[in-house]
Amino acid sequence: MAGADPGGCPAIEVSSVSRRFGSTVALENVSVHVAQGEIHALLGPNGAGKTTLLRILSGLTIPTRGSARVLGRDTARRTSEGRHLVGVIPSGDRTFYQRLSGIENLLFFARLYGLGYQEALRRAGDTMASVGLNGVEGLVVGKYSQGMQKRLAIARALLIDPRVLLVDEATHNLDPEGARRVRELIRAAADRGAGVLWATQRIEEIRGFAETVTMLHHGVVRFSGTPAQLVSMTAPKSFLIRVGNGRPSGDRVNALKLALGALGAIEPERSNDGEHYTLTIADGATLGEAISAIVNADIQILACHETRPEIEEAFISLTRETLV
Amino acid sequence: MISTTRYPASDIAREFGKLWAFLRRDALIAWSYRRGAVSELVGLLGQAGIFYFFSFLVDPARMPTLGGTRAGYLAFVIVGLMVATFYQTGVGRMMGAVRQEQLTGTFEALLITPTALTTLQLGLVIYALIHIPVRALLFLGLAVGLFGIDLHWAGMGAAFLVILALLPFIWGVAAALTAVVVTYRQATQLIAIANFALVMGSGTYFPLSLFPRWVSAAARLNPLALALDGVRGVLIGGERWYTIVPEIRLILIISLFVWVFGVLAFRMALERERRAGTLGLY
Repeated sequence: MAGADPGGCPAIEVSSVSRRFGSTVALENVSVHVAQGEIHALLGPNGAGKTTLLRILSGLTIPTRGSARVLGRDTARRTSEGRHLVGVIPSGDRTFYQRLSGIENLLFFARLYGLGYQEALRRAGDTMASVGLNGVEGLVVGKYSQGMQKRLAIARALLIDPRVLLVDEATHNLDPEGARRVRELIRAAADRGAGVLWATQRIEEIRGFAETVTMLHHGVVRFSGTPAQLVSMTAPKSFLIRVGNGRPSGDRVNALKLALGALGAIEPERSNDGEHYTLTIADGATLGEAISAIVNADIQILACHETRPEIEEAFISLTRETLV
Repeated sequence: MISTTRYPASDIAREFGKLWAFLRRDALIAWSYRRGAVSELVGLLGQAGIFYFFSFLVDPARMPTLGGTRAGYLAFVIVGLMVATFYQTGVGRMMGAVRQEQLTGTFEALLITPTALTTLQLGLVIYALIHIPVRALLFLGLAVGLFGIDLHWAGMGAAFLVILALLPFIWGVAAALTAVVVTYRQATQLIAIANFALVMGSGTYFPLSLFPRWVSAAARLNPLALALDGVRGVLIGGERWYTIVPEIRLILIISLFVWVFGVLAFRMALERERRAGTLGLY
């Protein structure tokens, strides 16, 4: 749950950050605010600038313009102060020592985060179990699958009970069950007060998970608000309907077109089974008006659903030029 | 509720603990490559074997006098190999450590931890700093046993002091070269050539008197050449430790200068990469 900032200090505050690589603009005037205890999704297609922003927040890259602060500390300054409160889950798969076991890798990083040996060992074991890697602690990481290495990266970020989590494509290589488990772990960290910046291109992850979302496209913020507000940006236009009444297929298309008039367009589905049609609502018309028109023409509607989830529709409409 | 308290140990103790973590990590990784380490040592002994036969061709009159006695070529080159290998392996491991971390993708993972840059630099090489002298000593012992070289073992303590004085030089050179690698990536061959010139010009394989005058003049300010001179003096010539104090002093002065330069160059290279946004590229 998004809460107030304890001590008035936001977890993450990005103010008008721009970053250029030569003539390439990776980020342009980007601002993001993440409160402690909040999960903020950083959404965008490949090349949107998500990883660049996370690298700036990790202190690995300096912004060309603007400022980025994590727990009030300027990330452009190369200081170890405050780093023990920040967990990072990078997008790369190979960020571990392949010839060391999973537990030895975590033990090493826990020590670098300042934990004593016994505490580091305990935390390493606990976090491995929490991400479902119990039983393979002693196996060298080189023998881990990509998904297991991703889970190990999550365990590493959780070693320190972080106040800020920077997550880059955490569920990229995971099966649905693994992805759900990861989201639960991140949710639990947020419930304990961590501010989370969750970079993803998988829009379906956002609903019911992130409280707020910033959508990047070509390094520019296209949207900033709640997932509900993102959905409201674009009403769904396209529906799959199933009709009854047993008329011949050709007659039915004509009857449907006649019934709809200017309210929308209708085409048989690819299967052309005579029952399924794609209904596209015209600008200014509503789904209710279209359905009423069809029903009033004495055609039964047995089922109706969106061809694309509405949140996906919003994503596509905001990034449309890349899809053309 | 998340605890915001820092860990109770002092900063210095915590950084020291991190060095142990690096040491443990590298010892475990080295153990996983143990067969490679053995073959490396065998290769070095093979190199010494070549010099053993080569020594029959060398005119003893061309060899330098150490502590009043003329040095034998084999003892000369074996001690030279030990010190030069110590230097080369030290620089190579330190420089290679960052490159290796870059290639495996772990370099950035290290940089985002709350680890001081100095700890990071030392941590990346601490295993090499301990392992390489042990290996050099092992090589010397095996070479002496195999080829029957007569050394003054009483000078080992003084030789150790010379090596110790050389460490900041090795660290500094490695840090400076690492800065070059971090910045230019493909500089490995160029660095190898420069290192080879430094080793050749220090009199590792042949007495400096055989080289052009400018090489022996340059060697007077080359810490590696000074170290070779000192170690040979005590191990081959049987000189007392206090006779090499001036050499140790000069090595220390130059080493400290090189160390400061190297550490600053490394920091500047990292800053440059952060500004350029190319830190993780390889």
